[in-house]
Amino acid sequence: MTQTALEMRPSPDATLAVKERYWRIALFGTIMLAVWMAQDLRWSVVWESAPFLLKGLGVSWLLALTSIALGALAAVPLALLRVYGPPGLRHLSVLVIEVVRATPELMVIFWIFFAFPPLIGQALSNWTAAVAALSVIAAAHLAEVVRGGLYSVSDEQWDAGRAAGLGVSQIFGYIVLPQALRNMAPALVAQFVSLFKTTSLVYVVGVIDFFRSVSIVNNTAYAPYALYVTMAVGYFLCCWLLTWIVRRFDPEYLLVE
Amino acid sequence: MDLDWYVIWDYRADLLRGLSLTLWISLVGIIGATLVGVAVGCMRTSGGFIAQRLTGLYINVLRNIPMVVKLFFAHFIIGIDALPAGLLVLVLHQSAYVADVTAAGLRSVPHGQTEAALASGLGRLQIFLSVLLPQALRVMIPPMTTQYTQTIKNSSVVMLIALEDLTFMTQRIEHATFRGIEAASTVTLIYLAIVLCVAAAMSGLQRFVERRSS
Repeated sequence: MTQTALEMRPSPDATLAVKERYWRIALFGTIMLAVWMAQDLRWSVVWESAPFLLKGLGVSWLLALTSIALGALAAVPLALLRVYGPPGLRHLSVLVIEVVRATPELMVIFWIFFAFPPLIGQALSNWTAAVAALSVIAAAHLAEVVRGGLYSVSDEQWDAGRAAGLGVSQIFGYIVLPQALRNMAPALVAQFVSLFKTTSLVYVVGVIDFFRSVSIVNNTAYAPYALYVTMAVGYFLCCWLLTWIVRRFDPEYLLVE
Repeated sequence: MDLDWYVIWDYRADLLRGLSLTLWISLVGIIGATLVGVAVGCMRTSGGFIAQRLTGLYINVLRNIPMVVKLFFAHFIIGIDALPAGLLVLVLHQSAYVADVTAAGLRSVPHGQTEAALASGLGRLQIFLSVLLPQALRVMIPPMTTQYTQTIKNSSVVMLIALEDLTFMTQRIEHATFRGIEAASTVTLIYLAIVLCVAAAMSGLQRFVERRSS
């Protein structure tokens, strides 16, 4: 009798699933309520300026994608030098990585803006300055990601490769790098999310990104709440989607930027 | 390229004022984010279902919106004064990351520890304070150092709402004297020194915790 009573009690997982469903319904209801309450905001401003705002969002994406690609190109030699390089170069690469990582993002942007005109004799275009600053930031952070990836492959893999008669470049290219890349993927996406958020700072050098485009629209047609809600939702969805995709593929991994 | 370092000496009063504001904002940010973040992180792992979901929402919403968006919203739209808005947003922003670190640290303690503590008759609060937290702390210190560094770096964003911190002073010197490189190098070195001090303090804390627990 007690046996059946126990069996009839829902398992903890089942109650969790039920709670989860109620939570989703409550969350959806709250969002709907918020939308209904927010209908008095001036959404027409957002609607009319949608092409301009979307262009700004596109600029943000383009900035983030370009700089992460350029940053990754610079990050690989930096990380390789830091892990395998000769003493002098190793220390130099440690210095570069750590100094950039300890410098506020805004300061990096100002650095590019101040330091380049005297060096190359002319002012950088807004776009170049923004991409350069974001690439430098990305390179330093990605170098650490790559280093983590290289360390995540155990030394026995090198020994095994050598025992199988492979050369250094072969071991690196066929054995170490593929495994390191797989282990690096979540941290790479975390860095991309972080960089995407950092693009909101490049308006200081005059690039019209998503953040700036919202401010511009707000300056002409004053509708702060509607515009800022749109901007927050825009940034949230972009970043959260990327994080969500990684979690989907690698549920064990905790994303910490 | 000729550099004129006397500019730094001329602007020493401004730079010191900027430094004190940066230090002050960073300190409030670090302490506030730790208090709020650890509380949220504890609820994220140890709270009931609703608490876990609400804290998850808190972390995700705050993490996925850039700090400058929140800052402008607090200052220009809601109309909070610059300094309180900067402090509030810095604490909220960083607390989400600290909460994640805390949650990860608490999850890293094997479940058997809680069961063993329950079996030996400890209460929930006792288990939390004397079993879970000390073990989690060891794992949490390195990522926490990163978060504190981030807090110091992110404190520079408040210059965008015209608070006169260190980063703001580079702009002032550049606009007044066109000596941007000198100003930027000095300020970068100062930031580097602050970050190194925090890193050294945290590794000292790590050694202390390791010694206590071994």
